[in-house]
Amino acid sequence: MVVYRRDTRGRSTLLIIIVLSLVLITVDANGNSVVNSVRSTAHNVIAPVQSVVNSAFQPVRNIAGGITHYSAVKSENARLQRQIADLRGQLRVDKGTGGEVTQLEKLLDLPTTEDATGIVAEVTGGAPGNFQRTVTLNKGTSQGVKVNYPVVTGDGLVGTVTQVFGSSSTVTLIDSPTLGVGVRLEVSGATAITEARAGDRDLSLGFLSDMNAVATKGELVFTSAVTNAAFPAGLPVGTVASYSKGAQDLQPTITVTPVVNLDNLDYVKVLRYPDPTAAPNGG
Amino acid sequence: MVLRRIRLALVVLSLVVLQTTVFTHLRVLDAVPDLCLVGTIAMAYEEGPIPGALFGFASGLATDLFLSTPVGLSALAFALTGYGVGLFQSGLIRESKGIALFLGGVGSLVGNLIFLIVGGLAGHEELFALHNIQVLIVASLYDALMAAAVFPFVRWAAKADSGQAWPPL
Repeated sequence: MVVYRRDTRGRSTLLIIIVLSLVLITVDANGNSVVNSVRSTAHNVIAPVQSVVNSAFQPVRNIAGGITHYSAVKSENARLQRQIADLRGQLRVDKGTGGEVTQLEKLLDLPTTEDATGIVAEVTGGAPGNFQRTVTLNKGTSQGVKVNYPVVTGDGLVGTVTQVFGSSSTVTLIDSPTLGVGVRLEVSGATAITEARAGDRDLSLGFLSDMNAVATKGELVFTSAVTNAAFPAGLPVGTVASYSKGAQDLQPTITVTPVVNLDNLDYVKVLRYPDPTAAPNGG
Repeated sequence: MVLRRIRLALVVLSLVVLQTTVFTHLRVLDAVPDLCLVGTIAMAYEEGPIPGALFGFASGLATDLFLSTPVGLSALAFALTGYGVGLFQSGLIRESKGIALFLGGVGSLVGNLIFLIVGGLAGHEELFALHNIQVLIVASLYDALMAAAVFPFVRWAAKADSGQAWPPL
């Protein structure tokens, strides 16, 4: 084994590395075109490999999922069958009120989901690091994806595009502590902002517009209709998991479970929002 | 010397590709291994503090390109870890079995802790979440396992010319 002396040359090398790292952190935190272009090139190079690996891993994931979640899938299937029947009935009731809401939104000139066209993308992987709640998509600027575009599945809101490269993009999920979504409670109509905690898949609601708002378990939570909102109004975000308000509490504690299973995403739709007229280049 | 550098560059490239493709699908309890951090620890163990720090800086920079945290954060954390592990190994009297697993686990814990602290101070306050302690522990166990595969790979790249490429772990 080689014995190393703590020489000054070694220390000065370490000092240079530390200073260089701190400079890079500062430069990148403020946004730098050179760093962004290097990052973009790296992502463009790795994107095809990610697609291939994702395809290769799909059967493995399916088998593992089938083995570990068989009973859960069976009971979920039964629950979903019941839910479909319930929703069919609910849909008939909502058709009337839905029409009124749409008319009001048009009168107020509020953008809706119908205003946004979409780009279908495949999820090619999760975050490569330990401390991010993101997924990577196989569509980027060349397919018309832009930063801040909302990402959805058929069930509801997934997140928002936070980084975009030539042929891939990064989506920050709604259960990431770095993302807050403006939402509206289905029954009371009170608006709030979602707040996520690291490691917790449920969201809590903060900044409630009505401190006396009451929510019931299972109640839907949608994106709220606000001018210049980051998301189109009316996208399902989650269902109320719990509601509590103590005598001393200023506002109730409401937790929401996302309607989308964010740990198991295959395909998503990136909404061209807030500029739905952006020319699609494919996808 | 040139061949050695090419081999080391290939090691960094392969670890980054594996990290950003295969291991994004192999998350356990919210943790993925940090292959480049384990590579840095291996390099520091084999070659000492300065090669460890330089390898950590280069592989950390490559990793940073794929994270949403600022570029330079992993580079700093990995370089400091590499330097620290290099100093530690220079104080070792003799090699012992299982040292790779031990260093992989402890080094990973230290490296990720530096990442969290510097990242949190740099404005990413979400990194200070309590849940990340659990992630740190799981990731360090994961990295300890990965060390069994990464250490021989790095040793080959660093010492293939000297005929000491594959000593036992």
